[in-house]
Amino acid sequence: MSRVKLEALGVKLPLFPTTSVGSFPKPDYLTKARAEFSHGKINQSELTDLERKATQFWISKQEELGIDVLVDGEMYRGDMVAYFAERMPGFTTGGLVRSYGNRYYHKPIITGAIEWPGPLTMEWWKYAQSLTKKPVKGMLTGAYTIMDWSFNEYYPDRRATAMALAAAIRKEVEALIAAGCRIVQIDEPALSVRPEELPIAIEAMRKTTEGLNAYFITHACYGAFEEIYPGMLEMPVDNFDLEMSNSELDMLGLFRQSPFTKDISFGVVDVHSHVIEDPSAAQNCLRDAQDVIARQSIWVDPDCGLKTRTVEEAIDKLRVCVEAAAAMRG
Amino acid sequence: MAATKCLYLSHTGSYPRIGDSTELQVLRRTTAAVDRGQATQSDLRSAEDDMTRRAISDQARAGVDFITDGMIRWYDPISHFAGKLAGVEIRGLLRFFDTNFYFRQPALIARPTRGGPVLKHEYEFAREALTHLPSPHSESRTKVKQVLTGPYTLAKSSLSQDGATHDLAERAGAYAEALAQEIGDLAAAGAEFIQIDEPAILKYPADWAILEQALVPLLRARDQVVKSGESLKLALYVYFRDCAPLYTRLVNLPFDAIGLDFTYNWALVERISQEGSPRPLGLGLIDGRNTKLEDPATVAAQIEKMLAKIPGGVAYLGPSCGLEYLPRDRALAKLGLLKQSRAALMGMPVAASGGAQ
Repeated sequence: MSRVKLEALGVKLPLFPTTSVGSFPKPDYLTKARAEFSHGKINQSELTDLERKATQFWISKQEELGIDVLVDGEMYRGDMVAYFAERMPGFTTGGLVRSYGNRYYHKPIITGAIEWPGPLTMEWWKYAQSLTKKPVKGMLTGAYTIMDWSFNEYYPDRRATAMALAAAIRKEVEALIAAGCRIVQIDEPALSVRPEELPIAIEAMRKTTEGLNAYFITHACYGAFEEIYPGMLEMPVDNFDLEMSNSELDMLGLFRQSPFTKDISFGVVDVHSHVIEDPSAAQNCLRDAQDVIARQSIWVDPDCGLKTRTVEEAIDKLRVCVEAAAAMRG
Repeated sequence: MAATKCLYLSHTGSYPRIGDSTELQVLRRTTAAVDRGQATQSDLRSAEDDMTRRAISDQARAGVDFITDGMIRWYDPISHFAGKLAGVEIRGLLRFFDTNFYFRQPALIARPTRGGPVLKHEYEFAREALTHLPSPHSESRTKVKQVLTGPYTLAKSSLSQDGATHDLAERAGAYAEALAQEIGDLAAAGAEFIQIDEPAILKYPADWAILEQALVPLLRARDQVVKSGESLKLALYVYFRDCAPLYTRLVNLPFDAIGLDFTYNWALVERISQEGSPRPLGLGLIDGRNTKLEDPATVAAQIEKMLAKIPGGVAYLGPSCGLEYLPRDRALAKLGLLKQSRAALMGMPVAASGGAQ
């Protein structure tokens, strides 16, 4: 069904199409430049030039590897929530909090009414798409996750916060579609955080996407999916991008009990490990997957964004995805 | 004015290990340098010591009676203890309850077994660090409270790859044995207050019998210490979900205090004001998950409602959970709110908000 939708959108993909979840590691020169920018040593224009250079690197690298649906790699973003919060009225930048291990991020604080300030990612999408003939995904963070990953000092409750965010993110989706984007990924890694709030996440996604003409993907990871499955299939998206490698394929058991009814972007490499997986192991994951999910519905990608890996590790892990997919196509 | 001499200020666990200034980022920088092979494990210990001292200093200056070491050295609340036991391998990341924080999941390849003290050094370091603070903090009634994640939550968060521990109760029992030994060693090192965290039971209340059984060895370890003439209080803390459904069962467990998270259901205040509690309570009235600062007068009114119904008026006012989920400035401000709320309860002028100075 979703392949029909993709083809109607003018996107033709092979079996087991390969893609990425979103972020790639920033080359050293960009990491250094971002630090210099934060200390006022270089200006925005100089930083943007380097972000474009890094974006170009990743687009050409994905093409070279043979990835089918590309991402811009998020060279211009730090954190997936903070990027939006820093640009949307209603947010104040909070101090650093820890995510895991030695990873920290600036957790935003909602201190006023949230508004869409105009396109936030569209220019970057247009730039990335101008570099390739392959489709580039529009990459957004979903309303429920932005709500859950922000402190709230303004709205009366979590639902009201999520709906205000959904209205703003929808405008960004509209801007991407108007620019020509046909595949939009709206990440909701917080989806399973509070199972009782799944209806809020679904309502927020509906408010974000309803009536808009694009192929929608949502990415979720590192959660207790057993608590929201199969209810999560009510999310109004075409494709669930799920972390399957790190969870040791636990979810396939759930899919056996209750059929998975959407396309899936199937994570076959662990993004938190330095170890480069054997392509045959990734291929075995996909073989297990096709026992449970129709072949034409399976996409192949890493578990999550690769930004925590080195550039070399990220490339090697992408290559594993491509080789595993190629082997599956026969 | 309420009788407040038994209303203690008590931190609930973790504290931010980073701040916005360069000096408060020493641990992050050093950890990254170790990963790159440019710093040693000794450098890392030194950075952890530095941030632990700062966490202790912030709490003591805020007038907290029972401080923690901020759990600065803990990778997460699950793998820190579990990962130091024989028979346990640490695996992939999983979300920690409904936070956007992740823990590494222990996999049991054999029955987890403790080879020796795990947290004793951390406790001793914290107690020593407290004595080096400038007076009056070092001479006050401030004490170090050691936090341990409880056996049920550890078991529930672990994978089993060993036939002997496939059963949740078996896993919890194995962890309980290790934790009971740890309690004995901590008490021998001088610990007088140990907090056992069991957030998982609020999420999986059907496992109550397993929790109750798993806590028995810990209570027995406390009883042995007390019997030998030493002083040791054992508190059980739950958070990250509504405590009301399990309230009656929780407060009937033979702990010295039961710590509750009120932020998921404020009606619990009213319920306690009517039903009371048979034992001292930890009052998690300061939201450890949101930056919005509470009004001390409101917190004081909530405490006043409950205090008369708690035996001896003994209660421990604290954040609803550890403060690591907040930026450092807000964590400090939340600590300041503890003292301000107690002052409001006593009818004293409340100092301006903004934390302990």
